Amino acid sequence: MATKKEEKRFEKEMKAAKKAKIKAMKEAGISLNITPEQKRYNRQKAIVGAVWPIFRFFILFGLCFIILYPLIFMISTAFRPDAEMNDPSIVWIPKTLTLENVKQTWEVMKYGSTVLNTIKLNLVASVLQVITCAITGYGFARFNFKGKGLMFGLVVLMIIVPPQITTIPLYLQYSYFNPLGLVKLFTGDTVSLINSGLTMYLPALFANGLRAGLFILIFRQFFRGLPKELEDAAYLDGCGPLKTFIVVMVPNAASSFLTVFLFSVVWYWNDYYVSSSFFNQNDTVALMLKNLTTTLQVELFNNQTVGPRQMIVWLESGCILAITPILVMYVFLQKYFTEGIERSGLVG
Amino acid sequence: MTNTENVVTTPTKEEVKALKPPKGVKQKGLKIPYERRKALYGYAFIALWLIGTIYFFILPLFESLIYSFNETHPQRGVMQLDWNGLGHYRDAFRKDQYYSQYLVEILGSTALKTPLIIIFSIFVAVILNQKFRGRTFARAVFFLPVIIATGPVIEIINGNMDTGGYSGGSEQFSTLFETDLVDQLLEFLGIYNISESLTNTITTVTSDIFNLVWNSGIQILLFLAALQNIPFSAKEAAQMEGATAWEYFWKITMPYISPMILASLVYTVIDSFVDPENKVMKLILTQGSDWNYGYMSAMAWAYFLIVGVALAIIVAIINKFVYYEVG
Repeated sequence: MATKKEEKRFEKEMKAAKKAKIKAMKEAGISLNITPEQKRYNRQKAIVGAVWPIFRFFILFGLCFIILYPLIFMISTAFRPDAEMNDPSIVWIPKTLTLENVKQTWEVMKYGSTVLNTIKLNLVASVLQVITCAITGYGFARFNFKGKGLMFGLVVLMIIVPPQITTIPLYLQYSYFNPLGLVKLFTGDTVSLINSGLTMYLPALFANGLRAGLFILIFRQFFRGLPKELEDAAYLDGCGPLKTFIVVMVPNAASSFLTVFLFSVVWYWNDYYVSSSFFNQNDTVALMLKNLTTTLQVELFNNQTVGPRQMIVWLESGCILAITPILVMYVFLQKYFTEGIERSGLVG
Repeated sequence: MTNTENVVTTPTKEEVKALKPPKGVKQKGLKIPYERRKALYGYAFIALWLIGTIYFFILPLFESLIYSFNETHPQRGVMQLDWNGLGHYRDAFRKDQYYSQYLVEILGSTALKTPLIIIFSIFVAVILNQKFRGRTFARAVFFLPVIIATGPVIEIINGNMDTGGYSGGSEQFSTLFETDLVDQLLEFLGIYNISESLTNTITTVTSDIFNLVWNSGIQILLFLAALQNIPFSAKEAAQMEGATAWEYFWKITMPYISPMILASLVYTVIDSFVDPENKVMKLILTQGSDWNYGYMSAMAWAYFLIVGVALAIIVAIINKFVYYEVG
């Protein structure tokens, strides 16, 4: 891989060489040999090359504006006093800036402890999920066994079936947790996992976490793309399959691991479905944000009605608080989101 | 070699028994043929997932299927069931005033939205794949929806901009994208009163640019990855032959990204059907919070089956047009 600098220099040299060539041809009078089709083609290309960048700029600018609009709106409203929401002379830039809303929302959301709790749940589940999905994906990619097609069909089914279908039975399973009667055997009674982080960790540990099917698919595709010789060499040197996987395959899959991990983190962070189904006290950021309207009513406004317009100030502060951690992560690791996926072998 | 021994013992006893060589043959070391041993390793690698899937996925799935045929009465620790046969399904389609209507609406809007999202994301991906200044920034912005749109944030933003927006801001924004441009354009062209539904369709499309852009993050990502996998030799050959950008797009780009079109089509359709904000999903979830689990499961299963069939048909059709590179 050439570095960017080298690429640039190479391009420059190419252009210079082309120019010199054309000049030499003109001097030698060969330019007459260009057929009319070639001329037309060149002219067309030149016109497109001159006009297209301008169009492209406007298209991208407009679309970027649409995407960034809510964020601008968020920043504009979150830091203004709520009274200024009704001031018709203010559209974007508030007259006074205040941190009061953010502070109040912070307290209502119990932000500090909520964030720590979310990060804990999130990281443990994501790490477990990445590891187990990689192992499963490798199993599907490189081994032939009876029923493989059927089981892979199960993976696809996991992607397609909406989690809402299985929620109620799962809730029962969790609240009277007793797989194969083992728990009852040891503790004498079933255990309730509701509100415990285990409702996230356990499925993740068994490669059944959020969107696990998709991750298994990504890993399978990736491992299938690696050359078989790698493993054969390892086998010849006396590695067992597990050791081969850990020593040879995992280091090769590093970028794919990172991509899956990042997506997993994002999805766990944004998830309020699992948390709202299986938690009622164990707070995550997404859940807090989802319930922000009601908690604000009860805790901040003492059940007095507040106009929907003023309400926006606090809601948008909540949004800012909720997305800041994930946004910071995105800014620093943006490269791995956008470039990781092509190396992760989702393609081809 | 301790590792390998550990792995071998993980499969169930019956499997190991079945694979043991007949008695009398005594060999040191390789007792199980290589291929079978590899198969066992395969089982070992997916064992964890298989256990998890049976417990966290298959069992609940069947349970909910059973619920859908029963009247459910939640008791402590168990769900009391009274057999109801296909009653819930019949109710959902015949008695429920919203279910069938919403179902048709969702199918229609998905059929409309999906091709748009696909075309739009191919377009954006092609642009983002070109070289220009600020490309990194543009890419970062376009993938931002992937980070935000899956969470509750986007709902709040949407809600705030729809309902409680200050005069000016939100309306300005919505009129910016919801003007009846199409109608005006048609009138300008002298076309009046062509079928109402056509104008409605076009208007819903043009008014929904915001959702279109916000729902295409993953698809753009997929197409961009596919575009970067087009071998350089193909591009070079096309340039040598004097292909215009238009020809290049249809004859080189499209075939190479066609597998990804299938993938993102499936993703888009599923995403649209499974979205907890869509009307059918909301209907199903309301039944859940009203403790009508039997009815809820019946609705969910019927919905899921319809989605599955629709998806299967789409995949079967599209798959005929997909170009797979031999190699």
